[in-house]
Amino acid sequence: MTVTSHDNVPTTVLDGAVKDYSRDKVYVMTALFLAVLTIIEVFTYAAPDFPVWADELLVPVLMILMAVKFFTIVYVFMHLKFDKPILTKLFYMGLVLAVLVYIAMLSTFRIWHNGQHG
Amino acid sequence: MAESLTSRPTLAAADAQQAHAHIDADTNTGISNTKLGMWLFLASECLLFGGLITTYLLYKHPLEGPTPHEIFDIPFTSTSSFVLLMSSLTMVLAVSAIERGEHQRMRVWIGATAALGATFIAGQIYEFTVFVREGLGFTTSRFSSAFYTLTGFHGIHVTIGIIMLVSLVLLSLRGKIPEHRAETVEIVGLYWHFVDVVWVVIFAVVYLIPS
Repeated sequence: MTVTSHDNVPTTVLDGAVKDYSRDKVYVMTALFLAVLTIIEVFTYAAPDFPVWADELLVPVLMILMAVKFFTIVYVFMHLKFDKPILTKLFYMGLVLAVLVYIAMLSTFRIWHNGQHG
Repeated sequence: MAESLTSRPTLAAADAQQAHAHIDADTNTGISNTKLGMWLFLASECLLFGGLITTYLLYKHPLEGPTPHEIFDIPFTSTSSFVLLMSSLTMVLAVSAIERGEHQRMRVWIGATAALGATFIAGQIYEFTVFVREGLGFTTSRFSSAFYTLTGFHGIHVTIGIIMLVSLVLLSLRGKIPEHRAETVEIVGLYWHFVDVVWVVIFAVVYLIPS
């Protein structure tokens, strides 16, 4: 049975209703995971010659860490994981559109070429 | 009467039975218009910040004035980033608390979120002050203009978020956020998490990726 927004459930009944269905532990673990990723990010600055991200691997490693943090926050903290799929589609529409538009713009300005720009 | 009330489905029951976590709104999508509006707004914000980040990438090599490598204080900014990241945790715990009907705890978590946000803004003001003292004004170079515009816009978003959080606490104290309106807290939370997500990108692209 589905509860709708038109069901006039008294707040005294709802009080404590989801106590046994808490996701707080998931949230704390997610925050710890994000903290570890941030520490790794900062470590790339402190130790740029570390073998895992030495030389040309540094930027891809940072981009991957950034993407993992981004999607972890969006999925867990912003509830996309638990919410209706249409919200995921809506958000990705904006995100993909933004990425495509700005890749096109950066390409127009020859950002991929070495050296100073414009 | 008491029996009919307790026989009603609780939030927990609805939560457990459905693939999604939230109460169905009486709309075509089952999502409240307010929440849908916030997600549309956030999708459009991707375009705003995408534009600002792209502009920064185009202009990050200054032709005059200090370079990013010369002025950025990575340990300091890392601490600020960590503070903002943890504010997302306190925010989501506030949403969780109001869903359980724990008003006092919700106010504590929202207060903590606002305090962490204010700490981040204080750090940004300090950082800007140091940069200006070192000769990096808004009009010093194309890099400085792009940098201040991007991070400044983000700072304004955080400040607006803090105002919304303080308003939530005041509304809660006046008893205007009962559990069946917990979505109000969730919607403010969505905005706050988005601001955090944007900083995740800015921190990596602007501060950590070398020129």
